[in-house]
Amino acid sequence: MFLINKRTLSLLSGILVIVFSMIPSVSLAAENTIGVIMPGDLPYYQELHRAFMGRLAREGILARRVIVQKPYPETMSLSNTARKLIATDVDVIVAYGAPAALSVVNEQTKIPIVYAAAYEPLMTQIKARNSTGITIKLSISSLLRYLRGLTRISTLGVVYNGNEEDSVLQFREIVKLAGQYGVRVDGVNLTRHQEAKTKLHGLKLDALLLTGSSVAHLAMPAIAELAREQKIPIGSFLLCRDSDAVVTLATNPAEQGEKAAEKVIKILEGVPADKIRVETAHQVELVFNFKEATSMGWKLPMDLVTEATRLIK
Amino acid sequence: METADGPGDRGNQTDKMSGRYIITGLIFLAILLHFSSVAFGAEEILIGLIPEENIFNQMQRHRPLAAYLSAKIGTTLRFTVLSRYGDVMDRFVSRKMDGAFFGVFTSVMAMEMIDAEPIARPVNLEGSSHVQSYIFVRKDSGIRDSKNMKGKRIAFVDRATATGYLFALAYLREQGISDLKAYFSDISFTGSHGSTIYTVLDGRADIGTVKSKIFQIAIAKDPSINDELAIIAKSREFPENTLFLRKDLPQKIRSQIKAALVGMDRDPEGAEVLKSLAALRFIETKKGDFQPFYDVAQKAGIILRTYKYR
Repeated sequence: MFLINKRTLSLLSGILVIVFSMIPSVSLAAENTIGVIMPGDLPYYQELHRAFMGRLAREGILARRVIVQKPYPETMSLSNTARKLIATDVDVIVAYGAPAALSVVNEQTKIPIVYAAAYEPLMTQIKARNSTGITIKLSISSLLRYLRGLTRISTLGVVYNGNEEDSVLQFREIVKLAGQYGVRVDGVNLTRHQEAKTKLHGLKLDALLLTGSSVAHLAMPAIAELAREQKIPIGSFLLCRDSDAVVTLATNPAEQGEKAAEKVIKILEGVPADKIRVETAHQVELVFNFKEATSMGWKLPMDLVTEATRLIK
Repeated sequence: METADGPGDRGNQTDKMSGRYIITGLIFLAILLHFSSVAFGAEEILIGLIPEENIFNQMQRHRPLAAYLSAKIGTTLRFTVLSRYGDVMDRFVSRKMDGAFFGVFTSVMAMEMIDAEPIARPVNLEGSSHVQSYIFVRKDSGIRDSKNMKGKRIAFVDRATATGYLFALAYLREQGISDLKAYFSDISFTGSHGSTIYTVLDGRADIGTVKSKIFQIAIAKDPSINDELAIIAKSREFPENTLFLRKDLPQKIRSQIKAALVGMDRDPEGAEVLKSLAALRFIETKKGDFQPFYDVAQKAGIILRTYKYR
């Protein structure tokens, strides 16, 4: 009979412990690839992506294993990018923004999907068995309230993109709320950012509000130019350093980048996406742009400024 | 033989000593009178306001009251908003202030720690001289009670408030939640009741706790807030912000201030000032009015003498 003495047994146990403890790192060390869809290469998504890559780097995941795609934020480009990453057979697809997430979900791939900055009201469409991620909630009424605190608004211009689902929902919500305040809304549907000057030309507005549309934010320089000409304030739902918007209410992109990376790491360790908790972004920033307001000759009401989490000076 | 210390010299010395005593006494009296007048705020009476809402709005609302009381007592009375709730007590103790409109918690601290005297408190436009604490959420948050609060973000006003902190603490303890750090994903202190409302409205926190009066003022200013926020718990009634004065202020001044406040509604000029404060009148306030606070403090598990509110 084959007998194992105590010494051999403890040696074997030790080897097994070492082997099992190495399993996740073996999995992470393998040549997995991560596909990232970053629509429009917006500053907001760039900041989110920097935090994402930083977190991955801390886990020893190299940048060369991350394929970043920056399609134009419109349906066809997003779908093509999703198909390209699926064809490349990446191990996980990371999508920034609800339209990018939807473009991957609509392809009905089995590749795990991690989304970030996905507008929560669209979750019923984004939710899939192979997906997890970070959702965002935006208080449209608050942004409208802060904007109304800056100036008297009779007509509000709202820039949205009819092809970006989150932007459309936000636009509808703004129309509903503005009605309660007796504010008339002029919707500006931008499907290409180059259309901004033409579509905004001739409008008599008291303020402009930019929905979370990527196209609207690509058009920010043209929109800001018009706002300066007409001396009207801009409110925005997308955060970026040195924004032209006088008031911005947005979720912090860095927090989402970190959380998205954590979920990707879990997936690469073998945890199924549907077993990873969907989270809501917690850090919401309220930014007032003192610099922009001063250059336009406005005084920001102190009772609004005291609520700010950040001031651009 | 008489020495140099003989009775004659001693008599001269006694006279000199008496003179010195008189001069020293006069100087001491002059110093005492000088400092007394400073301490009694003869030139100006400074009253603190706790930062319960936006400080600019708060100062604007109290400016007419300062002018009215100054005219009534014949001394300039000035309000100042303290940067933090905890500072109110510190300033009071260091005698930089002659009084303060204290909230419920700071009222009790003022009575317990420095034996300050409650003078009067306002009656609001609905006829109530009481406030409550509300625990509230956004209607679209999905939070209905304490069970849904796990892992959420909660915003308090300050550790030194009953309506903006202690009631919520007592409520949560009653629901079996005593380790807040373990239960909530984030705990923040906004510094004012107004800020707590906007913090929840903006989505910067999921749950807030606030004084009922400030909640109602916010809704009156913007009725759409009522469509967005839901109250999920209310406390018992506590006295509205009460004016306390230092007991070493001259009795005459304390009586003048109390009489001016309590009689405001019968004076046409005073009635105008009351409008700016959204109050019907002021009523006299006694120590016993603060009993509901002690019940909440007990439920919250705090011992006033050792409680670190700063």
